[in-house]
Amino acid sequence: MRSLVGAIVWKELREIRRDPITMAVALVLPLLMLYLFGSALSLDVKDASLAVYDQDRSAASRALIERFPQSGYFKRTHDIRAEGEIAELLDRGRARLVLIIPPGFAHKLARGETAEVQALADGSYSTTAMVILGYAEAIVQSYALERMRERLAAQGMAAPLAPVRVESRVWFNAPLESVNYIVPGLFGVILMAFPPLLTALAVVREKEAGSVQQIFVSPIRPYEFIAGKMIPYAAIAFLEMLMILAAGLWWFHIPFLGSFPLLLAATVIYVFCTVGLGLLVSSVTRSQLVAMLLSLLVTLMPSFLFSGFLFPIYTMPVMLQLYTYLFPARYFIEISRGIVMKDVGLAVLWPQLLALLLYTVLVFVMTTRLFRKKVA
Amino acid sequence: MAGQTGSAALTMNAPAADWVIEAEGLGRRYGEHTAVAGLDLKIRRGEVFGLLGSDGAGKTTTLQMLAAILDPSEGRATVLGYASVREAAQITARIGYMSQIFSLYGRLTVDENLDFFAALHRVPEAARAERKARLLAFAHLERHRDRLARFLSGGMQKKLALCCAMIHAPPLLILDEPTTGVDPVSWREFWNILYQALTEGTTIVVSTPYMDEAERCTRVALLHDGRLIACDVPGRLRAGLPGKMYELVAHPQRRALAALQRALPQAAPYVFGERLHLRLPEGGGDAGEWRAALAREHVQLETVRPIAPSLEDVFVALLPSAAAAPPVAAEVAAGAAGPAIEVQELSMRFGKFTAVDGVSFAVQRGEIFGFLGPNGSGKTTTIKMLCGLLVPSAGRATVAGVELGADPRALRSRIGYMSQRFSLYEDMSVGENLDFFAGVYQVPRAVLSARRAEALALAGLAGQEQRLVRALSGGLKQRLALACAVLHEPQVLFLDEPTAGVDPLSRRRFWELIGTLAERGVSVLVTTHYMDEAEHCHTLGLLYNGRLIALGSPRELRAGMRAGEMLELECDQPIQALALFRNEPGVQASLFGDCLHLLVDDAASARPHLLARLEKAGHRVRRIETVPFGIEDVFITFIQMEQARLDTRAARS
Amino acid sequence: MPRYGRLAALMRKELIQFLRSRAMLALILYLYTGEVIMCTFAMSFDVRNLPTAVVDLARSAESRALVQDFANSGYFKITHTASTDAEVAALLDRGVVLAAVVIPPEFPRQLAQGAPTSVQLLLDGSNANAASVAQGYAQRIVQNFALSRAPPSFMAGPPAAELRPRVWYNSELDYRHFMVLSMMSLAGMMVGMITAAAGIVREKESGTVEQLLVTPVSPGEMIAAKMLPPLLFCLLALFPSLLVAAVFGVPLRGNVALFTLFSAVFLLSSMSIGILVAAVADTLQQALLISFLVLFPVLFLSGTIVPLESMPLGLQYLAEASPLRHYMEAVLGLFLKGVGIAVLWPRLAAMLAIGAVLLALSVWGFRRRLV
Repeated sequence: MRSLVGAIVWKELREIRRDPITMAVALVLPLLMLYLFGSALSLDVKDASLAVYDQDRSAASRALIERFPQSGYFKRTHDIRAEGEIAELLDRGRARLVLIIPPGFAHKLARGETAEVQALADGSYSTTAMVILGYAEAIVQSYALERMRERLAAQGMAAPLAPVRVESRVWFNAPLESVNYIVPGLFGVILMAFPPLLTALAVVREKEAGSVQQIFVSPIRPYEFIAGKMIPYAAIAFLEMLMILAAGLWWFHIPFLGSFPLLLAATVIYVFCTVGLGLLVSSVTRSQLVAMLLSLLVTLMPSFLFSGFLFPIYTMPVMLQLYTYLFPARYFIEISRGIVMKDVGLAVLWPQLLALLLYTVLVFVMTTRLFRKKVA
Repeated sequence: MAGQTGSAALTMNAPAADWVIEAEGLGRRYGEHTAVAGLDLKIRRGEVFGLLGSDGAGKTTTLQMLAAILDPSEGRATVLGYASVREAAQITARIGYMSQIFSLYGRLTVDENLDFFAALHRVPEAARAERKARLLAFAHLERHRDRLARFLSGGMQKKLALCCAMIHAPPLLILDEPTTGVDPVSWREFWNILYQALTEGTTIVVSTPYMDEAERCTRVALLHDGRLIACDVPGRLRAGLPGKMYELVAHPQRRALAALQRALPQAAPYVFGERLHLRLPEGGGDAGEWRAALAREHVQLETVRPIAPSLEDVFVALLPSAAAAPPVAAEVAAGAAGPAIEVQELSMRFGKFTAVDGVSFAVQRGEIFGFLGPNGSGKTTTIKMLCGLLVPSAGRATVAGVELGADPRALRSRIGYMSQRFSLYEDMSVGENLDFFAGVYQVPRAVLSARRAEALALAGLAGQEQRLVRALSGGLKQRLALACAVLHEPQVLFLDEPTAGVDPLSRRRFWELIGTLAERGVSVLVTTHYMDEAEHCHTLGLLYNGRLIALGSPRELRAGMRAGEMLELECDQPIQALALFRNEPGVQASLFGDCLHLLVDDAASARPHLLARLEKAGHRVRRIETVPFGIEDVFITFIQMEQARLDTRAARS
Repeated sequence: MPRYGRLAALMRKELIQFLRSRAMLALILYLYTGEVIMCTFAMSFDVRNLPTAVVDLARSAESRALVQDFANSGYFKITHTASTDAEVAALLDRGVVLAAVVIPPEFPRQLAQGAPTSVQLLLDGSNANAASVAQGYAQRIVQNFALSRAPPSFMAGPPAAELRPRVWYNSELDYRHFMVLSMMSLAGMMVGMITAAAGIVREKESGTVEQLLVTPVSPGEMIAAKMLPPLLFCLLALFPSLLVAAVFGVPLRGNVALFTLFSAVFLLSSMSIGILVAAVADTLQQALLISFLVLFPVLFLSGTIVPLESMPLGLQYLAEASPLRHYMEAVLGLFLKGVGIAVLWPRLAAMLAIGAVLLALSVWGFRRRLV
């Protein structure tokens, strides 16, 4: 005999299957999000547009300019002939960096003086500007070092080595690919973005339509109803996870270092948690519009902003850092990155897993408490 | 576990076996507002108990408290032997409940909905298939098992919702206005399902705005402002009405009504089709006085005869506010005659489906034209085409002098439209709604304030302009919607089920308004499921499967019917007697209050046979006589004839 | 004869309804202020206070000075000291620290002798961006430390070439300036789209749209009236958010009237998206889900969160269809660059074009579905 939970699950699955928009949000949107973030969200600067104002027009200046496109970070897009063009290019956002080589550059180099080069950066995207300027500085510095070495060699002296070197070793993500970091984080965001929203809307719609009254007049107990609503949406969320995991591995070639079973186990807890949050939202709201906005505020926004997904938690003000503990995405993203990128196991991740588990139980209990089989 | 609770239920029920529901001092408040107060109610096993009352009287609140899905603020109720608050779970696990709103899952099929509710109520697998098949057969839904619920017509949805509420064979069924918006054919099928349940011993509590439905109840309770003001057997309520009801035929009718309202406000005179009804004190009162009043107004009185009061008359008489009906204006500017709507061979196809099939008719100026027909027969589609909301697939029509499709803007400024759903902005006040519609119709500023005042008076909302529409009762909303729709003095008015779910008193006033408008020369095209409302129409058109199968005045239609005769039968146990005739060929039986109505080909030849059957089954027949047809009988007979014609044609091809 | 203007009546009705939904108004205000503040604090790619462990095997004055330099830089925050590699590994594994500086025992000796020496930097590279930036910072800190300690003989004259960087528009490279503006634009996008979609679908669901369609009102008039109240309110809501921007020190270098004009056109074009959604959807649930489906790529392809340059070329072209992208450019231009209409007119034209196309589609959609 089918249980009451089974009856609800069966009904929900059938309804979802016949609802193309819900299906699209559940299955297409996550892949779209993964694609956009995975391929487009890279803070690594490549091919930044560079405008050059070479007032010296010497072999030396050309040699320096050559190094910019060679670095791979810049693409030379404009040559400036008159001072007035500079403002034009930056104002219209056509160039991110303007390199100005003043007259007498080669002359100063030859005389052993410091030859100055000017760089104008568009600072409106400060992050990019900072990175771009860093690259420019490195290019000019290496050029300068080479000229100095040449000069010293000409004087018969050995080139002085920098006396202290930084020997850096990168752990976990040695090629320093952003995508390896973003995709495991996206697992946490995507599962928090869509399943709770769908769940909340589905339940509130049933409230608005009144069909929930038929549920009130039945032998079903609140926890059975809640579980029946949770299971299908959690299953869909789990399917979403498998989909984006597969896409991450085969499409973006994310190196997966840790244990699959552990990640999937954590996912099971997490999907119940996110769907539970959606149900919690639905139990305190009566209209779909409010349900949607509320679920944006308690699920999507925090999972995006306050989970360490893109914006490191350690740079936030302390109050906000504490605030991040309120949302489960933070724990799951730590788990997911730990497993995928660092190959750490239960020994390291148990606090996060425990937090997630407690959170889920709490959400379930609260939702069950708030769901009364009464119309008012 | 299940066995334990079962035996506990038995022992608890044993002493008070008769009472399924006992409520004492039941009440519910929402904040400041008292919805129900001091309700005492006892309902016996096997009853069909009707709950009547206008919008906001507290019917839904009462039913929800009895279904244990709403906790009372005061008093207590025992349902099936369980306390409604402490043992709510026991009650909800046993009863069947159908809320007023759409309670099915639109994305599940008919079958799947039933399966879901069967599983939800733990109907054993073995019993499920048999019970499902039986309910579907009764509801005539077998052919639609695989259709999604949201694609069913309104009547089918209600029938399916009832099947779902009954899938676990509950001992108590609580139904909240279950047949609002259901056509007479579906409605009969709906009640057939209920009769079946009654013969199996189910108790039914039903709230309804329909007096026909109330007549079918073994007992009715009348709620007003959250209080019980009467509760008895329909027959006794009718008998207890003080005074006597009279029916008069007078010409011109409108002037007669106005004169009577002035002379005898307590008599609550009202229009019933071509006749006037009024209630006079015992002994006829001072007959000379009102006859003289009529004579003064040059009204010609044709006939006066006493009639049996209807439940609706009782209802109206019992309501405290009934006397305050706004008087009707006697003066009427006679408009020029001539057709306001001319329809020729109008058709509408959606893909392969033909919703309207070659319909032709004409509506004169000042005529009230009633469109009848089952749900999904094409009434709304026809109206939408005539309003320019849908482009017809074929045929032509002229509305208010404008050819369809020629000049939509001109057409729209000459018509008024009121749809099935409330077409007002609920979050705006009464005045704001009026101003808005005046604005979109560009009512000239010079006449605006006069029209506005008139509209407020029409809706009975003078001085209440600041009230939010959301806070108005259903009846008031309907009248305001009508006032908004006629603000620009349209030549033609389309009303699509304007009174669905509205209580009798409000409907009566609504129809008085329509009558006034028609006499001013406005042509009214109205659809309705209330058969008594059909009596108000000058002309009736009956649509079935998109085709116009009958057209004429109510009197003509009645006269033109040669479908047999109606026998009314009074006996001790009408429900059991009904079951007796369920599968009898040549007899169509239905419950009519505490009587049975039997439709037979020939009354004289059928009567002895019927009496013999009843006697054999042990029924004592108190009375059997031939009664005239109601419009509902006419309606159903025409449809059966048409269906028979379609069936034979289908069989031939 | 003076007539009660039809459009005026429609607009009056919309205004009344709009102003009566208090929850919505509060939400709009919140999006324009509270949300802007929250996000500005939270969303920063700057590398600051990176939790760092130190393994000082030298335990000398020099090594302590170097550690001090790291701590004083503001980029690194020394949260742990460790003595073995295993400890460091555990800290990195648990994600407690994201970097570790290891100073070898021979460091002071080699430094004193002028012999080449090295400091080890272990980085958690998960966040590639932060790691590479941190790497750069560490290099600079160590270089400076070395230079300050280098014997004069090593300095063979002045450096050969030097870069004099100058930053335009946002000279302190404050990410918050960008974030405030970006969040303001996002708020307009979300509010415009959702209010427009919800306003129309609500009428569809309640059936009042039929009532409207049998009046002489045309779909165009109806849509125009729907757009007015959210437009007015959002424009008003811009001013508190300008205040927030001022608190964060964002300068408004351009013309306020121009900014208002751009905002109005932008709001209109984002509302057109909402209206198109409403033309397709029948229920509020559908409308909300579709808005969500559309909102996401529109936000993403706007440069508000992620710079467009680093995206694949195809996506960059697609981004031109997002009104938010043009508005973002315009706002940055107006606030940070102080440029005017001479430079920004193509953005205005683009937004107008997007809005016009979408509106034409929606009017067509309404005609087809309803009439």
